[in-house]
Amino acid sequence: MLEARSAQAQTAPSIRSRIIELFVNGERYEVVVKPRNSLVEVLREKIGLTGVKHGCEQGACGVCTVLLDDRPVLGCLTLAVECDGKRVRTVEGLAQGDRLSPIQQAFLDQGAVQCGYCTAGMLMSATALLERNPKPSVAEIKKALEGNICRCTGYNAIVAAVQQASGQGVEPVMR
Amino acid sequence: MTELSHVGKSFRRKDGPDKVTGRAAYSEDIKLPGTLIGRVLRSPHPHARIARIDATAALALPGVKAVITVDDTKGIRHGFVETPRYPPDQEVLARGRAVYVGEEIAAVAAVDHLTAQRALELIEVEYEPLPAVFDPIEAMKPDAPQIHPSHPKVASEVPYSNIGGRTTAEWGDVEEGFAQADYVREDRFESHLRTHGYLEPHATIAHWENDRLNVWTSSMGTFIKRAKLARTLDLPYSAVRVHKVYVGGTFGGKIDLYSHEYCAARLSMITRRPVRIVASREEIFSAYRHGQPLAMELKTGVKKDGTIVAQQIRVINNSGAFRGSGVVVIFLAWGFTMIPYRIPNLKYEGLSVYTNYPVRAPQRGHGCPQIRFAIESQLDAIAEHLGIDPVTIRLRNAREPWEALPNGDNVHEAGLIDCIRVAAEKSNIGERYGRGRKASGTIRRGIGMGVSGYFGGSLIYPNGSGVIVKMNDDGTATVLTGGIDVGQGSETIICQIVAEELSLDFDDVKVVASDTDATPQDIGAWISGMTYVTGNAARQAAGTARRKMLDLVAARFNVAVETLTVQDKVVFNRHNPPQRMSYRDIVAYSIATQRGDTILGEGFWRTMRDEPTHPSLATTKGRWSENYAFSCQVAEVEVDIETGEAKLLKALTVHDCGFPINPALVKGQIDGQVSMALGHAFLEEIMTKDGFTLNPTWLDYRMPTIHEMAASDDADVITEQYVVGKPYRTKEVGEGLVSGILAAIANAIYDATGVRLTSTPFTPDKILKGLRKLERERRGKN
Repeated sequence: MLEARSAQAQTAPSIRSRIIELFVNGERYEVVVKPRNSLVEVLREKIGLTGVKHGCEQGACGVCTVLLDDRPVLGCLTLAVECDGKRVRTVEGLAQGDRLSPIQQAFLDQGAVQCGYCTAGMLMSATALLERNPKPSVAEIKKALEGNICRCTGYNAIVAAVQQASGQGVEPVMR
Repeated sequence: MTELSHVGKSFRRKDGPDKVTGRAAYSEDIKLPGTLIGRVLRSPHPHARIARIDATAALALPGVKAVITVDDTKGIRHGFVETPRYPPDQEVLARGRAVYVGEEIAAVAAVDHLTAQRALELIEVEYEPLPAVFDPIEAMKPDAPQIHPSHPKVASEVPYSNIGGRTTAEWGDVEEGFAQADYVREDRFESHLRTHGYLEPHATIAHWENDRLNVWTSSMGTFIKRAKLARTLDLPYSAVRVHKVYVGGTFGGKIDLYSHEYCAARLSMITRRPVRIVASREEIFSAYRHGQPLAMELKTGVKKDGTIVAQQIRVINNSGAFRGSGVVVIFLAWGFTMIPYRIPNLKYEGLSVYTNYPVRAPQRGHGCPQIRFAIESQLDAIAEHLGIDPVTIRLRNAREPWEALPNGDNVHEAGLIDCIRVAAEKSNIGERYGRGRKASGTIRRGIGMGVSGYFGGSLIYPNGSGVIVKMNDDGTATVLTGGIDVGQGSETIICQIVAEELSLDFDDVKVVASDTDATPQDIGAWISGMTYVTGNAARQAAGTARRKMLDLVAARFNVAVETLTVQDKVVFNRHNPPQRMSYRDIVAYSIATQRGDTILGEGFWRTMRDEPTHPSLATTKGRWSENYAFSCQVAEVEVDIETGEAKLLKALTVHDCGFPINPALVKGQIDGQVSMALGHAFLEEIMTKDGFTLNPTWLDYRMPTIHEMAASDDADVITEQYVVGKPYRTKEVGEGLVSGILAAIANAIYDATGVRLTSTPFTPDKILKGLRKLERERRGKN
């Protein structure tokens, strides 16, 4: 039942690997991947970017969200081989050196971080939103973040953080 | 009183920068060379005899390094509760019989995930299915399939089968009380099965090296994990080191010892390589521990003015196939009954019933949302019958400050009455209640109220927290605490307290946390007492360091300590400011003159220091807590009477947490609990059939998304204060607030529709069914 249904288990290991090229947070990587490897697997296990979180592997929780050519994608449902030659951005690439991006800072200022497990994915979805829509309405914020589940905050602080980062008159509540 | 510089202020999270940059390491992020991947084989039967397990073929598979079954363990049992009455009852892997779907049968370690998966498929297990039972009422019948014999002491008291535990409590004379009542009402309520919804899956990496076990695991307390791992592995506690990792949410679901934690450790001890086991979300949904569905029978007698005179309550818990926390939730349902209101005569019985479901765990509120939903719903029904409004009946029965509770505890500066008054005023419920039912149109609005109380810290292993504050020779401080930050912000508030006591800047305080080797023992983030217990230990540790420094300066200048002032890491004589020393100089001076004392401060705290242990789970006798939190919550809902769809528009939480050390963190707890209660009320339900989980994915189990968020207002009725150098009293704020709001939602739905819901979740079909029944009654009358 829970474990005994992986038909590919018997055949998968014999499938040949490929070398793909990824531009991750501005740096070029050549990575050996199996066709079955997901993008999140490759980022975490082969490139070492563990800030990208591993969640449900069902494309439902959003914690593995990264930007592929500036568009948010679910790392668990994206095959790494599909990303050959593409640009990937992860939470590790948001800050400029020690300087946090406005959305990272806003998450701290608004108390939009608790356990932190949804944070990386939330930040990537929010970053993509703000890049294409610098002053999003509340409805647009909700639409952009609807694929990212947060159990801790109840979302109010997260919406406020996106509003703060987009300069919509929301002041920090933490100092 | 001097003004506080750090306590009571909303400082940003200490762990925030690590969490927004991806640097924060969670269990699965720990990378050790040569790590093997572990997987767990689970039972496909809800109840079956295990006739044979043969792992020969699995072991022969290239890349498989080890396979374990129960025969590779020492057979040492563990349990959420481990007391003389309720000794440990569960082995780490099934022995001879599987008692729920998903029970752990065997585990493998292999070079990669797919090989481990393939190995599981090659383990041959011969099962002989046995009859199973899932409904607790069915399981209590004499001819029900026996999962375990009823507890011997309970079996001599009541004639039911499959009883894992029983709690009884009684005071006054309920029969006499009911005889005096002007109105007696009986109702039955039920709650349903929900997962905790932590986004980080259970993950453990274990490494046996140099005769020591190193563990990184997603938990709510590293010291309780160390104890349970050491005991089941038959190792000295000191041979196990549980390292600090960040934890991606817990909500009660990561306390107990989980089989995969043991398996990772045991497999590492066999293979001498690190072993990592990560549970899939499907495994968590199907086989891990969830909350506890309760059936609650209530009989309440009141006087005409709404004063409660007697209450009789019976709670039946579907506890799954082992005791788990099932025998605790039946104690707690009593506790959460008695906190907020005076009940002069009470008779309580709680039964924990074995069924062929996975074991149950605490879940945020641990019985409180269930029992408050029942009590507060019934109270509203009683008020309506008597023609009293929801606010008046609550004020009539609410406990006053300094009341003694029936168990001998005291509520101290209880703020419940203020909570109710402020909630009534801010929500204007008095004027708005009752309008919804009279409105026309398909969209109806309703407003409802709910009250709850919660304990803040009790006695359970390891009972106390220690904290060490060490001054660094640059004049800053490092605090060593076993307290674990699961998202609630414990590292932040501990640093605030240390900064306050030592007059340091927040950034001058560094924290080393929750490592069983590097930090003192701690009670953990699961008994609702960390801010109080660990926080007071931190206050004491910092205070000791401060006193040492002041004493040195006083002695050096031959002045009284009282003449000294601390500012910007400099101690000076108020009357003669050139007599001054910086913290940096004091540390150097101390090392030079005090035989090397680098200035360490130690602190420790224990709730109810004169009480030997926690109260009796069987009789409720004995003290439970020295801090009780109170709250009154108001829900505003909207119901579409054509579709039966209801939603929470706005929540108001008025609470007494003593005082907030970090108001924004308190607000974060409130919002999160409102969201969780909203999921409880409307969205979340684990569906099962014959012990199998039918919806083991986030797509089929509806967690609140950003579209379901409700407006969440709050107010804090501050009842305590913080004074530097003195012990303080904070109250619980992290889990009890899922309770009153759930009841308030139910009461608001009634207000909007006239439909009294007696079971969670509040689904459209239940609301429509209620509306149709009302319609039939109306027609019948006309």
